[in-house]
Amino acid sequence: MNNEVYTFALKNTLNEIKNVCPTVSNTFIFKEGKILANDKDTNEETATHTAQAFDAITERADALGGLETVTIQGANGRVNIACINDFYLTTVTSKEADEKYVNTLTRVLIPTVLKLVEKIHPASINDETLTTVNPEPEGDNDTYKTTIDTEDYEKEQPKEETATIEPEPIQEQPEPEVNAEPWLPEPPVTQFIVENLGGLLVPSDTVRIDNAVIAQWKELYGDKKIGEVDLETLNGKTARFKFKPIKDSKQEGKGIIQMPEKIQLTLETAKGELVMVKPAIE
Amino acid sequence: MVKRRKSIHETSTTVIMEDETDVSTVEEDQTFTNLRTNLAEINKFEGILGYILRNATSATIDLKDPAKLVEYAILSSQALDSSQEISELFAIGEIESVLIEGKDTKALCMAIGENKVSIFMEKNTDHTDILKRVAP
Repeated sequence: MNNEVYTFALKNTLNEIKNVCPTVSNTFIFKEGKILANDKDTNEETATHTAQAFDAITERADALGGLETVTIQGANGRVNIACINDFYLTTVTSKEADEKYVNTLTRVLIPTVLKLVEKIHPASINDETLTTVNPEPEGDNDTYKTTIDTEDYEKEQPKEETATIEPEPIQEQPEPEVNAEPWLPEPPVTQFIVENLGGLLVPSDTVRIDNAVIAQWKELYGDKKIGEVDLETLNGKTARFKFKPIKDSKQEGKGIIQMPEKIQLTLETAKGELVMVKPAIE
Repeated sequence: MVKRRKSIHETSTTVIMEDETDVSTVEEDQTFTNLRTNLAEINKFEGILGYILRNATSATIDLKDPAKLVEYAILSSQALDSSQEISELFAIGEIESVLIEGKDTKALCMAIGENKVSIFMEKNTDHTDILKRVAP
């Protein structure tokens, strides 16, 4: 049971990484050639072959003092296999992907989830019987989520008991909150360099942001309307403003945020300084 | 006729085997020679531990620690083979470079035409700069 929760947590994390970074096409985690979790677009056979090919390198990497990371840069994409807490995380990205962003995200998220699951289920992480395959239960995802949640609470109960309990009415149990309100992912934080935005018709309460970043937010939150962004400077000044995409296509992809002088004064920032931006989700 | 020439300079070992000359061989030889000159320059940089350059007929090896020659040669060969396999699995196209980072050192492997290059360096060395110099 613990292992299922463990695999479930990792699998969901991998899927979230893909949601946040659309340039990530495949992610999976393996240990000693066994696939522990893979995202929904990665088949296990491919992952296993990759793990085997990687192990062949590992066996010959003593000269480097033990292997930590392998990065294969191809003409159309990149494969990165990195050691995280004795596990190996594989990330396949397109050529356009921001390597630093993806690496930062994966190397923060995965260890955090591993640590969290380790705290919740200390026995599972080193368990040899760790579920290596990800058998999706039949039925839709919501059913799966509910099942896992229930299992989480009842993990100590033997299977037979669960089977006998199942037909009994459980109407009195409150519905899990997850089903009542759709879960929204944490707003991703993006760092930008401040650029001046001037002109007669420029609204003083609106910043301009890279179109690609706005597209990522839309992809992440679907129909949820995002009308404003939260800005935070390195000095800790925060404020919420409206935003629009950058008009000048030459300025796109440069990691800049165009900001009217008034907003710069409010935030006590200036051209060339860094600000953290995240979508304001209500 | 097969001619063999062997030249040894300190820790550097060059073995060149030349077959009957045709146009493509001349071009390949030229690429090999250019790479060798380039790598000899790179090898002088701080943090560079040496390199292996090979193609079907020739090989040049220059390592600061010659005792690691066999280990490094096997590793670079395996790295390129395994990377080829992985690149096909995920359809990322022709391999441009492979970076293998260990706890102490790292290796940058590339396939440039028929030539296979592996450069070994200390972990804090800027491999992107080396990459630009080898394959601009």
